[in-house]
Amino acid sequence: MNFDEIEEQDGIRFSWNAWPSSRSEATKAVVPIACLYTPLKEREDFIETPIWYEPVTCKAPCRAILNPYCQIDVRGKIWICPFCLQRNALPPHYKDISNTNLPAELLPKYTTIEYNLNRVAQIPPIFLFVVDTCLEQDDLKALKESLIVSLSLLPEYAWVGLITFGTMTQVHELGFSDCPKSFVFRGTKDYAAKQIQEMLGLTNNPTRPAAQPSRPGQPPQMTMAANRFLLPVKDCEFVLTSILENLQRDPWPVANDKRPERCTGVAMSVAVGLLETTFPNTGARMMLFSGGAASEGPGMVVSNELREPIRSHHDIEKESAKHYKKATKFYEALAKRASQNGHTVDIFAGCLDQIGLLEMRSMVNNTGGFMILADSFNTAIFKQSFQRVFQKDSQGHLQMGFNATIDVQTTRELKVCGMIGHAVSANKKTAFVGETEIGIGNTSAWKMSSINHETTNAIYFEVVNQPSTPFQAGSRGLIQFVTHYQHSTGQFRLRVTTVARNFAEGQSPEITNSFDQETAAVLMSRIAVFKGEIDDGPDVLRWLDRMLIRLCQRFADYRKDDPHSFRLSENFSIYPQFMFHLRRSQFLQVFNNSPDETAFYRHTLNRENVDSSLIMIQPTLTSYSFDTPPQPVLLDSISIKPDAILLLDTFFHILIFHGETIAQWRKAGYQDQEGYENFKQLLEAPVLDAQDLLIDRFPVPRYIDCDQGGSQARFLLSKLNPSTTHTSGGPYSAAAGAVVLTDDVSLQVFMEHLKKLAVAGAS
Amino acid sequence: GDVPVSPGYPPQQQSYGSPAMTNQQPMQQQAQFISPMGTPSTTYPQQQQQPYPQQQQQQQQQQQQQQQPAYNAYNQDPVNQMSSQFGNMNMGTPMASVTPAVPLLGARPQIADIGYTGPSIRLPPNISVTDSPHVNCDPSYQASTINAIPATETLLKKSKLPFALVLAPYRSLKEGDEPVPVVKDSVIARCRRCRTYINPFVTFVEGGQRWRCNMCFLLNDVPAAFDYDNQTQQPADRWKRPELNYGCVEFVAPTEYMVRPPQAPSYVFVIDVSYSAIQSGMLATAARTILDTLDRLPNAESRTRVGIITVDSAVHFYDLNSKLPEPRMLIVSDLDDIYLPQPTDLLANLTECMQTLKTLLEKLPDMFKDSVNVNNALGTGLQAAFKLLSPAGGKIICLQSTLPNTGTGALKPREDVKLLGTSKESTLLNAASPFYKSFAVDCSRSQVACDMIIFGGQYSDVATLSCVPHYTGGQTYYYPGFNASRTEDALKFGHEFSELLAEQVGLEAVIRIRASRGLRMSAFHGNFFIRSSDLLALPNVPRDQNYVVEVSMEDDLKVPTVCFQTALLHTSCTGERRIRVITMCLPVSDSISELYASANQQAITAYLGVKAVERGLSSKLDDARDAIVNKVVDILGVYKTHVLGSGPGSTPQLTAPDNLKLLPLFALGLIKHDGLRQSSQIPTDMRANAMNMLNTMPLQLLIPYLYANLYSLHNMPADAGEFSENGVIFPPALNLTSDNLEVHGCYLLENGQNIYLWVGRNVVPQLCADLFDVKTYEGLKGGKITLPVLDTPLNRKVNTLVGKLREMRRGNYYPTLYLVKEDGDPYLRLWFLAHLIEDRTDNIMSYQQFLQHIKDRVSKS
Ligand SMILES: [Zn+2]
Ligand SMILES: [Zn+2]
Repeated sequence: MNFDEIEEQDGIRFSWNAWPSSRSEATKAVVPIACLYTPLKEREDFIETPIWYEPVTCKAPCRAILNPYCQIDVRGKIWICPFCLQRNALPPHYKDISNTNLPAELLPKYTTIEYNLNRVAQIPPIFLFVVDTCLEQDDLKALKESLIVSLSLLPEYAWVGLITFGTMTQVHELGFSDCPKSFVFRGTKDYAAKQIQEMLGLTNNPTRPAAQPSRPGQPPQMTMAANRFLLPVKDCEFVLTSILENLQRDPWPVANDKRPERCTGVAMSVAVGLLETTFPNTGARMMLFSGGAASEGPGMVVSNELREPIRSHHDIEKESAKHYKKATKFYEALAKRASQNGHTVDIFAGCLDQIGLLEMRSMVNNTGGFMILADSFNTAIFKQSFQRVFQKDSQGHLQMGFNATIDVQTTRELKVCGMIGHAVSANKKTAFVGETEIGIGNTSAWKMSSINHETTNAIYFEVVNQPSTPFQAGSRGLIQFVTHYQHSTGQFRLRVTTVARNFAEGQSPEITNSFDQETAAVLMSRIAVFKGEIDDGPDVLRWLDRMLIRLCQRFADYRKDDPHSFRLSENFSIYPQFMFHLRRSQFLQVFNNSPDETAFYRHTLNRENVDSSLIMIQPTLTSYSFDTPPQPVLLDSISIKPDAILLLDTFFHILIFHGETIAQWRKAGYQDQEGYENFKQLLEAPVLDAQDLLIDRFPVPRYIDCDQGGSQARFLLSKLNPSTTHTSGGPYSAAAGAVVLTDDVSLQVFMEHLKKLAVAGAS
Repeated sequence: GDVPVSPGYPPQQQSYGSPAMTNQQPMQQQAQFISPMGTPSTTYPQQQQQPYPQQQQQQQQQQQQQQQPAYNAYNQDPVNQMSSQFGNMNMGTPMASVTPAVPLLGARPQIADIGYTGPSIRLPPNISVTDSPHVNCDPSYQASTINAIPATETLLKKSKLPFALVLAPYRSLKEGDEPVPVVKDSVIARCRRCRTYINPFVTFVEGGQRWRCNMCFLLNDVPAAFDYDNQTQQPADRWKRPELNYGCVEFVAPTEYMVRPPQAPSYVFVIDVSYSAIQSGMLATAARTILDTLDRLPNAESRTRVGIITVDSAVHFYDLNSKLPEPRMLIVSDLDDIYLPQPTDLLANLTECMQTLKTLLEKLPDMFKDSVNVNNALGTGLQAAFKLLSPAGGKIICLQSTLPNTGTGALKPREDVKLLGTSKESTLLNAASPFYKSFAVDCSRSQVACDMIIFGGQYSDVATLSCVPHYTGGQTYYYPGFNASRTEDALKFGHEFSELLAEQVGLEAVIRIRASRGLRMSAFHGNFFIRSSDLLALPNVPRDQNYVVEVSMEDDLKVPTVCFQTALLHTSCTGERRIRVITMCLPVSDSISELYASANQQAITAYLGVKAVERGLSSKLDDARDAIVNKVVDILGVYKTHVLGSGPGSTPQLTAPDNLKLLPLFALGLIKHDGLRQSSQIPTDMRANAMNMLNTMPLQLLIPYLYANLYSLHNMPADAGEFSENGVIFPPALNLTSDNLEVHGCYLLENGQNIYLWVGRNVVPQLCADLFDVKTYEGLKGGKITLPVLDTPLNRKVNTLVGKLREMRRGNYYPTLYLVKEDGDPYLRLWFLAHLIEDRTDNIMSYQQFLQHIKDRVSKS
């Protein structure tokens, strides 16, 4: 079974590609039946030959969509729904159907299909910029430039709006031509949604004299009112550009011992309030550009007293972060309102310090927004990442979908446990909902305010068949994923993926062989991170260990109590390694990072596909030397060699590390001398490869060029398996690599322990 | 009658008499004039040779004009002229103990004396250190109701005369007025004990080394600088020092008089931009006027700062930063809790932000032209302006068109026509909300003043809104039914607003009035806030505001003279800290006759006005009017009993001393005034505004406001409406009675607020053509008009008179001209006739009935 081909066609990868036939067998498999699904996986054929008709659906309440797994009676013009087994008449316009003339949705290559529905959104996508002005002059200038450029990247029919904030929040009225005009909200006040509407004049209050004649041909009042703040780019580009060009730093004075007063909370509250009043259930994104932590008002992350440091993981753990819970709750409430209205929040942080991403994460995570963490708005990371948000497909349309829902339907042996990804529950408690809850559960549908071709969700299932049910050979289970969304053109689309997998008896090698260890590692990572958001770190690690041991106990070959006899088959062999690196990763070892970084890393893990996620969990390391062509090497300290260059890709960082000798040569400038062309080529090779990696990575990773012994090299060292630490005399001699100063156990020690535990008195 | 067919009329004959009347004799009343003594106008010709019998009366009045200075009251310098005539003449002369008694009943009031500013102050000889004629201040700055002070409280009580000072310390200077002398060397000699400023009435002792305070008699050292100028290193002549020569001087204050650097003039405009403000054209006119007046705003050394706030259901600020390509509008809709949307540039330096400000003012009308917002959050807007100004003080100028109906201080339309004319009417004249007063008190503490300019299409609650000017030293202007599409409305408002803006006001001021021992300032009336018992705080001192201060006696006076000294510490628009010191010395008398001979009927009228307003607000208007009448009855009764010495009923005549002979007329003017009149027809806003006027108008404006000037135009003397070396010559004034209105006549009536041209229904068409450029009477259209400029003598003269009327008095008022046809719009006609207060009007007594009423009351007492 080729996982890649399936992924190419359906955007989906399962942990198990053959499913245990009963609940107890499935439980024994340890890793749940689950998938990573990229609903909007790019399919050139959908763009080249779009399907312009509505899907054929099963009778209510089933509503499953006709798919290649359905039985068709071409003569009776009947199809049988595999989910509910009901017979359905094909619609009249399918009268010419035959075995050689099948509609697309019945062809095997259309297990994933996209319908263009007969519905177009009334309002094109809306982009509401929420811009921090408590920035250094250079930073503000860079941000303004990026924003102005972005106007040219937006389709001209897209609507835009601008909110700026510092000590106060300003909503700019773009539809006012006489002079720049903005509504100013106090930064310290928790405005109710209704107040915001009233203050912006969005309610139909008696602000109109009774005798005022209505103006024929004008749009209704509500739209008119909203039009003052949100306008098509083509209508307000000039005004908005001018406002942005003249945007000044927050004018309120800041004392030496104070932080600027920054009312991010009010700004977001106003943004959410504005959109929910004017354009509920319309594709819209609020793009927050923040240069620091909220320091006043609701959603305050840190006080404006500089002597009060911003909270760390330790403070949060000790529950001494005094604003943390309140702020988190505040932003969660906003996140809920935004997601209910189908609106998205993106956060672009441009700050060396933290901005309170951790507290604000729900706004992004619940709505499928983007999260970018940069040191400043004047960095390539921000500028390029921001531009990539506006990437277009081959037709020139923005690669983003809005206001999406994803519905999952299963055949009766399976139930849905939940989803882990950037979504909220749609609270659809159907018959497909299982008892076990993993991630966002108790529903078989989820809402994603925004979705793009990379958005990848983990969806978990359970087998509900009782062992008493006799197993029927060749039986299979089906899952249908139906994603409804608004394309950036306003076109409503329906993406349908139907998958079928065989059931197999518990001990059957079919199950063992169907294990996709990469996907399983990512699915388990998402569970671990999800747990990490709630539970203590050590508990999560213990859970991960327990699961790994049990998996090995179940699927490894060994003799009881003989660790040396322990063998894993090929499709399980690197799974422990993934778990080893996951344990050490920033996703679970949070104390080496700031809370904001943790929020960012976890956010990214939850939106990427298997390949990208694996890089995050276990970074790739490539070695470049004179003797051999570039080759992947172990993420291990033994890979450090004086005469080699290493290219590390952690997904978030791309690092080129020059071994000691190479570094000396480079410093001496040999690469510029005649006769050393090969050295020059050696130096350039990883750079070229790094550029390849950078091309479509989102967010743009941090690029580090360092030498062995240099301070930046710590990035590499922290990722390497410490097989040669200062404490290990180890089986590998220190001379073979570099000493990593860490107390962590090495992969080798980890594996020894695992073997010992796996073979000991199995449960 | 027939209409003359000739297009011309004899140039020497100015009258437009109806041909039908040529043989009729006009009513003659001059026989009843009794000559008052002590004024030059003692003899009126009883009969004269009349070349043209039909012009007899005019001729006679012309004669009066030549002889009687009162007729020159409207020349360029009436007050100074009067005061110098009355003030100088009697220096050092013994007190006149008796003034002639003038019989009142049966005669027209002698309005020729209406400009008489009060009896002279008869001081003992050598009472002042210099023999300057100006040692006592001019009564236009400070006048007393009595120019002789009773020696005992018993005597004061017995006399029943009011004892009060009427002040206009910061009055404006018209062309020809003497400027106030300034002491520039910062040498300010003050009594160590009572803090009196050195003045002409101190005495030098010990060879001139020390001076004795004229209030508390403490000996103080004379500053060395009085005799030696340190700067020029030359001996100085102390006798030339202004403070020893003038009753009104101004000191440039040294830094001890400042708690902080002198305030720069700061103006924040709070402009209503709700629907009615747009529709009435107020916004456009206001913006245009501000724009056109920017160069006239006080802006010495480019210190002046300006901010603009517009208000509808939200408060709009404007960022005037001169570096911006255009102004930025910042809206705060949070009405419960107003805040400044940014810390700077909302109040900007006028010179620096001039271009941005001009751009804004040009755009403002357009910015709101489509507004349909009927809400207004004035209170919140005021709080916003206060936030801008409170750090350094300044002035809020509020232009209000809608009744504030949202936010802080929201008001409800509460006028109830059923209450008008009843005892409950007073409730409507008091503030509806405590907000405005408490806001004003906050303003006063922070040196913020507020002018309130109210435009009423509908009920505007002038009574409530005017609280803010009242307690902050500001001014209230009211434009009922304003509509800028009428040129006259736009012109009047534009003119007055522009003058208001250009006014060289005083800033961050306090007034304290000191008096000789035994006298105490007991009550204060006017626009200010009483900070401590006798300290009046005025964040802003407008030029022509009046204050009335009641004086009580705490001790008998055992001195021949007493002094009053008003000190106005203020910052001038030019940034100087200055003290204006106004000193007045009055003789002490134990004679009730002398008291009566010294009483000032104008000052008493001002006093009666403010007391009546106070009474009308605290109790009811009936009581206010009764109080006025009672006071007149008291005064004339005491005069009859104790001065003339006749027992009750001994003489049937009702008499008044010559210097009080117009008091009954002024009293009648008060009780017939819009502010106090018994009527169920006066809208509350009008009433409230009229009361404000009574409370704040200086005498020069108050007197014509109570008793208007009526001139006949169709038969003016030849020189009337022409310029002479004394200024424009006015026709003789006529008594305010319709008896003086001939059906073929054309008359001008003015009270300083409005000018009416009354046209009789039989007016000759020629006059219509000559004056209005309209062929016939029927072609005339009543209402607000602008007189055309025509090449006819009559039109030129009337235009000259109207023009003069509009600029000759102090204050910023620009009277609107109305054309009233005798049989035209009844409302307009009645309005005009209401000014003829000698007649029975609006069912209120005629002058003669009023006198009879007083006589009856006096006789009964
Ligand atoms: Zn079905
Ligand atoms: Zn003294």
